[in-house]
Amino acid sequence: MTTLLVDGQRIEARGGDSLLVAMLRVGLHPTGGGCLCLAGDCPNCLVTVDGVAYTRSCQVPARDGMIVRRDHLGGEEPALLPDEAMSAGSAAPAHHVHCDTVVIGQGASGREAAREAREVGFDVATFDARDGQHVTGVYPGPLVVAADDGGRVLHVHPRREIVVATGAAEIQPVVPGSDLEGLVTARAAAKLVGAGIDLGRAVAVGEPPGELPSGSLAGHFPLGQGGWELVRFDGDGRVEAVVLRRHGDDGAAEERIQCDTAVLGLGRNPRNALARMASDLPVRVVGSAATEPELPSCPREGTVCPCSGVTVADLDGVWERGFHEMELLKRATLAGTGTCQGGVCLPYLRSFLLERGGRLQPAFTARPLNRQLTVRELAAGAHTAVTARSPLHDEHLRLGARMDRAGGWWRPWTYGRQDDEYRSVRERVSLGDVSSLGKMAISGPDAEAFLERIVPTRVATIRPGRCRYVLMLDERGYLLDDGMLCREAEQVAGDRFFLTSTSGGSGFFELWMRDWAEAFGCDVRILNQTASLAAINVTGPLAARLLARAGALELPAFGRHRRVRVAGVDCRVVRLSFTGELSYELHHPAADARKLWRRLLEAGAAFGVQPHGLEALLRLRLEKGHIVIGQDTDYDSTPRRLAHEWAVDLNKGDFVGRQAVLRTNKQPLDKRLVALRVDNPPAGDGAHPSAEGAAIHDGDRYAGYVTSDTGTTAGGDATMLGWLYLDAEGRLPREVTVDGHPARRVDGPTYDPEGERARAAVDRRDEAPENVREFPVVRLEATDLAAGIPAEPPRLRWLEATRVSTTPEALAALVKRPPWSAGALTFRTAPDELLVTATPDFGVAGDPHAIVERETAFSYVWLDEATAERFLDRECEWPRPGARPAFAQGEVAGIPARLWFEAGKTLILTPAPFAAAFERRLTASLAEIDGGAT
Amino acid sequence: MNEFTERQMQLTWRAPKKSYDVVIVGAGGHGLATAYYLATRHGITNVGVFERGYIGGGNSGRNTTIIRANYGIPAAVRFYQRSVDLYRGLEQETDRWLMHQQKGILWMAHSEAAVRAERMRAKLNTEFGAETEFVGPRQVEELCPQLDMSGGGRWPVLGASYHPQGATARHDRVVWALAEGAMERGAHVHQNTPVEGLILDGERVAGVRTAAGDVAARAVVSAVGGHVSRIAAMAGLRLPIRTHRLQAFVTNHYRQQFGPIVASSELFFYASQTARGEMLLGAEIDPQPSFSYRSSHDFVQDVCRRALCLLPFMSNLRVLRQWTGVCDMSPDYSPIMGRTGVPGFFITTGWGTWGFKAIPAGGEQMAELIATGEIPELIAPFGLDRFARDRTMADRGSAGTH
Repeated sequence: MTTLLVDGQRIEARGGDSLLVAMLRVGLHPTGGGCLCLAGDCPNCLVTVDGVAYTRSCQVPARDGMIVRRDHLGGEEPALLPDEAMSAGSAAPAHHVHCDTVVIGQGASGREAAREAREVGFDVATFDARDGQHVTGVYPGPLVVAADDGGRVLHVHPRREIVVATGAAEIQPVVPGSDLEGLVTARAAAKLVGAGIDLGRAVAVGEPPGELPSGSLAGHFPLGQGGWELVRFDGDGRVEAVVLRRHGDDGAAEERIQCDTAVLGLGRNPRNALARMASDLPVRVVGSAATEPELPSCPREGTVCPCSGVTVADLDGVWERGFHEMELLKRATLAGTGTCQGGVCLPYLRSFLLERGGRLQPAFTARPLNRQLTVRELAAGAHTAVTARSPLHDEHLRLGARMDRAGGWWRPWTYGRQDDEYRSVRERVSLGDVSSLGKMAISGPDAEAFLERIVPTRVATIRPGRCRYVLMLDERGYLLDDGMLCREAEQVAGDRFFLTSTSGGSGFFELWMRDWAEAFGCDVRILNQTASLAAINVTGPLAARLLARAGALELPAFGRHRRVRVAGVDCRVVRLSFTGELSYELHHPAADARKLWRRLLEAGAAFGVQPHGLEALLRLRLEKGHIVIGQDTDYDSTPRRLAHEWAVDLNKGDFVGRQAVLRTNKQPLDKRLVALRVDNPPAGDGAHPSAEGAAIHDGDRYAGYVTSDTGTTAGGDATMLGWLYLDAEGRLPREVTVDGHPARRVDGPTYDPEGERARAAVDRRDEAPENVREFPVVRLEATDLAAGIPAEPPRLRWLEATRVSTTPEALAALVKRPPWSAGALTFRTAPDELLVTATPDFGVAGDPHAIVERETAFSYVWLDEATAERFLDRECEWPRPGARPAFAQGEVAGIPARLWFEAGKTLILTPAPFAAAFERRLTASLAEIDGGAT
Repeated sequence: MNEFTERQMQLTWRAPKKSYDVVIVGAGGHGLATAYYLATRHGITNVGVFERGYIGGGNSGRNTTIIRANYGIPAAVRFYQRSVDLYRGLEQETDRWLMHQQKGILWMAHSEAAVRAERMRAKLNTEFGAETEFVGPRQVEELCPQLDMSGGGRWPVLGASYHPQGATARHDRVVWALAEGAMERGAHVHQNTPVEGLILDGERVAGVRTAAGDVAARAVVSAVGGHVSRIAAMAGLRLPIRTHRLQAFVTNHYRQQFGPIVASSELFFYASQTARGEMLLGAEIDPQPSFSYRSSHDFVQDVCRRALCLLPFMSNLRVLRQWTGVCDMSPDYSPIMGRTGVPGFFITTGWGTWGFKAIPAGGEQMAELIATGEIPELIAPFGLDRFARDRTMADRGSAGTH
C-alpha cells in the first residue's frame, strides 16, 4: 500500500501510479486547472514534493510517505524560503558514466537506435522519462546530465554519439477556458483510462485517442477542413461543455457539447529542445523528435503561455507597439520564459507571428535546462576550491592559532598574542611558517641564460652560494611576483638555481616559466618544489643563537645560503630578511617539518622563542617598507612606480618586460608607491583603525590612497605604504594628509634604515658549546608502497619518495635500466618527470643536469578495488584505464590526484597540502555510498 | 496577463536613409543610450543605429542587471556613480517602468585579506561619492538573514562592504525605453541589418556598408559588444580586447523573500532575486577567450556548489535556465570610450562584465563627446590611447564578480 499526504490529506496510490494519477484518482487537480498531458510537457501538474516545488507530478512515481503540497494551485508562486532554516547545503551524489552512445528516449525509435548500436558492439546508455530519468542538458564534452529516480545525478560521457529520441509533445489548447479542470490531451486520456480512472462523459476534439476501449467516448469532433473549430470551454472551475463551430464559417452558430472531460488531439510538436541546444555536438535526432512541428492555427483568444499568464491580447498589444521579432515578443510578454520553457506556447507564438507578420520565424533559442534539477542536484560532483595546508597546520592549531586563508593557503593569522608575537621578533627570536612560498628548482645548460630572461635582475653576478631578491615582470612591464633567487653552492655540472615566489603565485609561476623556457628554446629542467619543501623562518636578534643550540653552527652570511643540518634535519638555510631582523629561512623536506618545528621551539625555549602569525609579519615588513604583491601592487605596477628601479638592470640583455619598461620609462611618471609616516593616527582601543584605502591629499588635491597600514600600533607614529600621485609640476609631494591627518613621505624604511639588524655579523662563538643540543638525525627511508594494503577506515599517509626531472630521453633510458631496487614503484607524472619510491642516491645517465630530489610532496592511500571503483564512479569525471596495472592522473573529488591501478587494489596520491581535504571528501563520499544514500 | 508584460513602449521602425549625421553600430544598451542622449541632451536626431539581430539581443539581454558604483579606482567610482544616479532618474525621465529596484549589495569577506580589501573599497568609494560602508557579521546578518554566516563551516562571513545604492533594473526594458526615447525624437533603429564594412574617405571613416546598402555618416560609433574586434579591424584598428564567455542562470519563480544582492569574491559568485521572483546567479568570466554562446555544465555545477555554502535555502530550488554572453574584456578591467585615432570613428568597448550598469553614463558621455567634439572629463581617463601612454586604469574592484 502506497500512502501519501497531499495538502495534509492522506491518499492512497496503486502500484505503478504516477503522483499525478494518484491525485486524479481522488479528484485532486494539482494546479486547479489546465489541460494535462501526462508527459512532462506542460506546467499544469506542478506540485511541491518533499519540499521541492516545480515538480511535475506526472513524472514522479507515487511513493510511500511522500509529502505533497499544491503550492502552484491557481498559478500561485511557491515560497522561496523553506519552512525551516536549512543548514549548510550538501550536493547530491554524482555518478559518472562513460559509454559509446547515449540514447535519450526509449520509445520505438529510441529502442531501435539503442538496439542497432548494441548490435555493432557499442556500449549504450539509455534514458527514458517514463522510468524517472530526466535529461537536463546536453553540453560540450559531450556531456549528458540526467537525474535518475534514485536521486542520483548522472554525468554521462559518450565517446561517439548522442541520439535524441524524445518523441513529440501534444499541442495544448489555446482558447478561453483552457485553464479549466477536466481537460486532457488524447494520449493522456488513454493513459488515464488505462489506469482505471473514470473520465465521465468524455468528448474528443481533433485526433481521437487511438487506444481507448470502444464506447468510452461520448462524442468525437474532428477539427479542420470539413470538421470543426474549437471556440472555447465552458464551465465554472471544471469543464462543463466544449464549444465548437463549423470550420471555416465565422458566422456559423456555436454548438455546445456537454462533457465531464474534454479529450484534445490538437497535433504534435517535436520535443527537439535537447537537439537544438546541442547543434554542434555529435547528435542524431530520430523518430518524431526529428519531424517538422505542426503549426496550429493562430490563436484568437485565450491564454497562450500558462506559465507566465500571457494571453493573445497581450501578444497583440506588444505586436502593435513594434515588438515583431520572436525574441522581442518573448521578452516583452515573458511568454516562454516559465517552467515549461515554451512547451505550450512556442507553436502558437510562431503561428501568431506568421499570421501578423507574414514571416515564419524560427523557434527561440533552446537553452539548458531541459528538465529542471535542483541546486543541490546540479551541484553534484562539484567541490569548492580547496585551501592548502602547510605541514605545520596542526602545530599551529595546537599552539592556539587562528587560521586564515591567504594566497590559497591556510596561514596562522595570530596565535592570540599579536603584540607579543611582534615583539618576540624584534627583541628575541621567533618562528614563522613560510612553507606556502612557491619554490622552484631550475637546472640545465641554459639555466642561467634562461633566468636572465625571466627576471630583470642580473643573474650572472649571483655567485654560487649567494642569493638575491628578484622581481618578475610580465610582457607589459608590470610586476607579477617577487621572490629570491639562489645559485647552488655545489656546482655539479653547469648551473642549478632555487627560486621562490609568493604563496599565491606558485602554480601560475611554474606555467609561466615553462612557457617561456619553451618559447626561448632553453635547455632547462624545472621542478616545482612548493609542496615538497616546508620552510620555517627563524628571525630575531637571537636567531643565530637558537640555531647554534639546534646544532647549526656553520650559518650563511647575509645574502648567502648553504646546506646545513639543523636539529637533525637537512635544510637549505637562506639568509635574507623580510622582517628586518636577523633571519634564516630553513627550507627542508615537508615530511620533516613537524619534527624540526618542535625541536626549534625546544632549542629556543631559554630565549622565550614563540611563533608569529601573518598579522605580525605584515606589520614587521611594513616597518621595513617591503611590498606585498597584490596588496601594494596593482595591474599597472611598473618597477619605477614601485620605486624598485634598483631591481631592474636594463643593460644586461633582454628579459620579459624589458621593452615595456624602456617604453614606459619614456612617459612622465604619474604615481609612486611611497612610505608615509603618520603622526599620532587617531587611536581606538589602544590601536588606530586601519587606514587602508584612506585618501591621501596634497593640500586640496586628491593625491592617492593608502595600500598598507597595520592599524595596530598603539599610540605614537604609524608607517604606511600608499600610492602617491605627482602634482601638475611633476613633483612628488613631501607633506600630505591621510584622512586629514598630517603625514610625511619618507625615503627608505622607518625601522633600522641602514639594515644593520638584518645584516648583523654573527659570531658562532656566542653560544657556549654546552648549550648545543644533539638531535637525532632524521633520515629518509622510501615508502615501501608495493607492500601497502588497504586499511579501514582509509587514512592518507606521507609518501617518502624521489622525484626526477630530466629530459624525456634520459628518463626513458633511466626507466629501462632502473638504478633502484625491484620493489620500487615508478610513476611517470610528466614526459620529463618521474616519481619513484626509492631514495635519491642515484644519478641519471646521460643528463648531468637532472634534478634528483627527495620528494615528500605527496600523501597516499590504498583502497581495495571495489571501494576505489565506487568512490571513483562518484568522484572521478574522466575515463579510467581498464588495464591493470595502469597509471593515470587527473582531478578526483576536486583535487589533483595520481592513480595507480593494480589487480585488487588502487593507490591514490594527492599533494600533501590537500591530503586533509581529500581524506575528508573520501570519507564523506564512502560513508554516503555505504549508507546507501539516495 | 502578467504584471510584467510590456504595455507602454512604442517602437517605431523606419526605412534606412542614405546618410545620417551619426551612425551607431550596435543597438544594445550603449548604442541606444548614445542615440538617446544625442537626441535628448543635444538635439541630434539624424542618427541611424544599425543592429545585426534584434535590439538588446547581445550582452544587454544576457547580463545580470546589477547597477552599482563600488569600484576600485577613483575614476571608475566617479563614472559608475554617475550611472547609478542616471539610472535612478531614468524611470521618471522616460516615464517608463524599468523595474528599477534599489536593494543594496553586500560584498562578503571570508578571510582577513578580504576584510582588508572590503574595508579599503569602502573608504575609497566614500571618498569619491559612492556610498559604501564596511559592516560586521551582525549587520550582515540583519541585512541578509538568509545567509549561513558560517559559510557551511568553511567560508565564515567575517564582514562585508555594503553599498546601499546597489540596484537592479529589467535589462530589456532599459534597452527598449532608450530605443523608444531615441525613436520618438527621430532617430532610426534598424534591426536585422548587419554592418558589413566601413566606408573610408582617405584616413577618415565616412559611413558604413550595411546589408541594406551604403550609409554615409559624419561620425560612426562602434557600440558592439563581444564582436568589437571585427568592427575595429574594418577601421584598421587592433584593440587590446579579448572576448570571453560570461555565463549566468536563474531558478524558477518564487515569492519575493530575498532582499539584497550578495557577492563573494572568494567563493566567486553573486546572487539576487529578480522582480519576477527568480534567484539569479552569476560568477566570473570563463578564463579561456572564446566567441561561443554555448553554456557549460561545470559553470552551473560549480556556482550551485558555492552558493550552497552561503545560501543553503537554495538547496531545493529548481534551476530554470542558463545562458551565455560573450564579453569584450580589456586588459585593465576598465572600459574604453572615446576617439580612436581614426577620424570620424568613435568607440565604446571594453565593457567586459560591467556594461549594463554603465549604460546611461556611457551613453551620456559618448553623446557629449560626439556632439561637442570635446572629451568629457568623466571619461577622459578611459581613452584608447591610455594603453600606449602607460596610463591603464587597472581596477581590482571590477575584476572577478559584477
